[in-house]
Amino acid sequence: MPEKLRPFHIAVLMHMTQSGIVIFTLPRNLADYFGTNGWLFLVPCIVVSTFNIYLISLVFRLGQGRSVFEIMEQTIPRPVLYPFYGGLAAVWLVFGCMIGKKYVLIFQMLSFPTTNPMVFKLAVDILAFLMITKGIYSISKAATLFFWLSAWMYLLMLWFFPAFRWERLTPFILKGGHNQFKGAMEIYSAFLGYELSILLFPYVNKNKKAMAGVYAGNLYLAVLYISLAIICFGFFSLGQLKKLLYPLLDLLAYIQFPFIERLENLLYGLFLFPVLVTVVMYWWAAQESVRRMLPRIKLSVLSFLLIAISYSISFIPKTLDAVGVWITNLGYAVTGIAFGFPVLLLLLLLIQRKGGEVRA
Amino acid sequence: MHRQNYSLARLSLILLLLLPLLLTGCKSDERILEKLGLVQTASYDLAENNRIKVTSCVPVIDPDSSARRELLSTVSDSIKEARIMFSRQTDLTVVSGQLRDALFGLKLAKAGLGDYIDTLLRDPSIALGVKVTIINGDAGRYINHLLEKEAAGNSIPNTTLYEFSRDYNDDGIDPVAPIVKDSGDKAVIDGIALFQEDRYRMKIPAQDGIFFGLFRDDLRQGEAALHLGEEDGRPVVVMFSSLLNSRKVKVHRLGPGRFKVELLANIQGSVLEYTGHHYLNKAGVRQQLERDIADVIMAKAKEMVSQMQQHNVDSLGIGIQIRNTLSYKEWNQMNWREVYPQVEIECKAKVTIKDYGKYM
Repeated sequence: MPEKLRPFHIAVLMHMTQSGIVIFTLPRNLADYFGTNGWLFLVPCIVVSTFNIYLISLVFRLGQGRSVFEIMEQTIPRPVLYPFYGGLAAVWLVFGCMIGKKYVLIFQMLSFPTTNPMVFKLAVDILAFLMITKGIYSISKAATLFFWLSAWMYLLMLWFFPAFRWERLTPFILKGGHNQFKGAMEIYSAFLGYELSILLFPYVNKNKKAMAGVYAGNLYLAVLYISLAIICFGFFSLGQLKKLLYPLLDLLAYIQFPFIERLENLLYGLFLFPVLVTVVMYWWAAQESVRRMLPRIKLSVLSFLLIAISYSISFIPKTLDAVGVWITNLGYAVTGIAFGFPVLLLLLLLIQRKGGEVRA
Repeated sequence: MHRQNYSLARLSLILLLLLPLLLTGCKSDERILEKLGLVQTASYDLAENNRIKVTSCVPVIDPDSSARRELLSTVSDSIKEARIMFSRQTDLTVVSGQLRDALFGLKLAKAGLGDYIDTLLRDPSIALGVKVTIINGDAGRYINHLLEKEAAGNSIPNTTLYEFSRDYNDDGIDPVAPIVKDSGDKAVIDGIALFQEDRYRMKIPAQDGIFFGLFRDDLRQGEAALHLGEEDGRPVVVMFSSLLNSRKVKVHRLGPGRFKVELLANIQGSVLEYTGHHYLNKAGVRQQLERDIADVIMAKAKEMVSQMQQHNVDSLGIGIQIRNTLSYKEWNQMNWREVYPQVEIECKAKVTIKDYGKYM
């Protein structure tokens, strides 16, 4: 019996999965789509994501901690499910891959403008491959380590207090925005990642605390997002924030020491940790779905194949904007899965309950 | 044990295969310090036919060279085009990642700096902390250290790309920047350049800089030498040091489009020099002195504010204060540039002498 994930590790793992590359553009999107005091829009996002986690915890409780694949296969014949599994795997695989590519492209823009980004992508993918082959328990341990290596950076927010002015937040609530549906989806994608907890059921102890970890990870993320967004709205003026493509990069670049300029290069490197965990977790989820279809294939071979496929796909979008479009569109699909999947499972569980075929 | 050895061997194989790729991959982005021209100060001025004269100061690292810095100068159509031209003038690769100071000539400042600030901010290698300075005269001089010191005294606000762009993009405040004069062999601080949006409009002389600072923001440190008239044919000067100031603003609405704004500066400091004939250890004398100092400050501020209203520059951020008392609709329907000159602005100062040194 392999070791089970503990609630603290689940919290950290989920938090690290959720925080990724979106954090760099989040304050700008809030300002651009929602205008003055756009950070307030994060509050409904928190409510919605918490509700989504509640749905997942219902699945956990009603299904008595069984794997979601088992729940489905109990009622629906396997061959019918295969296209669904394939779809899940494809969306998760490419989503993870594009997040990695975006990180690499920004890294390249900052530090190595003429080097082929796919070289860096390869290095990141190999790291991810090594992590995935070790299994979810090791991934969570690595995520915890990465968490401690990168979490201290949030203390850097203190640096911006002297220039922070509440006046710049203006008293106007969400005025001057545009395209708010698209904006809402893009901003909500900053919270995505918690939905993968639905695949963790077989790896956790069957008690209430397991899901508490997911809630905690999500709340911690929410606190960070809100504080970062408020700092951006009070540090930058609204017009300025709308013009900055990556406000977080500019914040990092503002931190200056007499002996070193362009500290953001160094700090940006540390963001590899949360991004890597995000990528690994989406690929791991894709692998879990594919494994259900091809149970006999060796795990490391499967990981290798999946990563090779995703690496080839990541050649397609060449520019940061193109990658952004991929992430936005896949974000819709991933958000759909985040809500649709638990709802589907709940329906199945209710049907199974009525039919009295619940296994203890 | 055998399995562990096997996976270790596999890992080393992967790394070995990857190594040449990573080593050669970054060849095109290789930077050798001795071959780099790290621009520390760059100056921009308007040349004939709307072209720009760009001068960059590059420190020479070569220990055998007698020159400590190299000046590169060219006339081009854009800032970044000039950098390409510089590369033809020198054997160094000119890079802007260590830029600390951006100097703009007065002629260019009068024509508007917006586009150039945008260009500087677009470059990912340029940080928000680059200092912006206006040069009254030839912008190609090297004046780094002087600016560093003046800004620390707070009588001249330290302006970086961050502050300039922040205030330029805010609809309720106009940017300011220190202005420096070229006086023969030395460069001296000339005063504070006040902008309307991105165009230079007027200047506050250096000796009045502190009065501007008191009413623009809170100060944590500052000094002022105040002339309180004459006594027995000798000028009475009080040197007010270690200034602490907290600014408060009250907005009164007088009618549609008419406002009265009270700026209250609450100033604390120590008296380090007093050339009058009274003993400072008497409470009454000190209270009188506090009132006298406040009167001088208020008179200066009144004059300054009326000049700013004449030139229609809202450098004190009155617009932000008025905006924050209005509704979004009211503020947007108001043409702030038309309203601003009519606003009644009253500057009040309350002075507290914390101590008067160790001598009566």
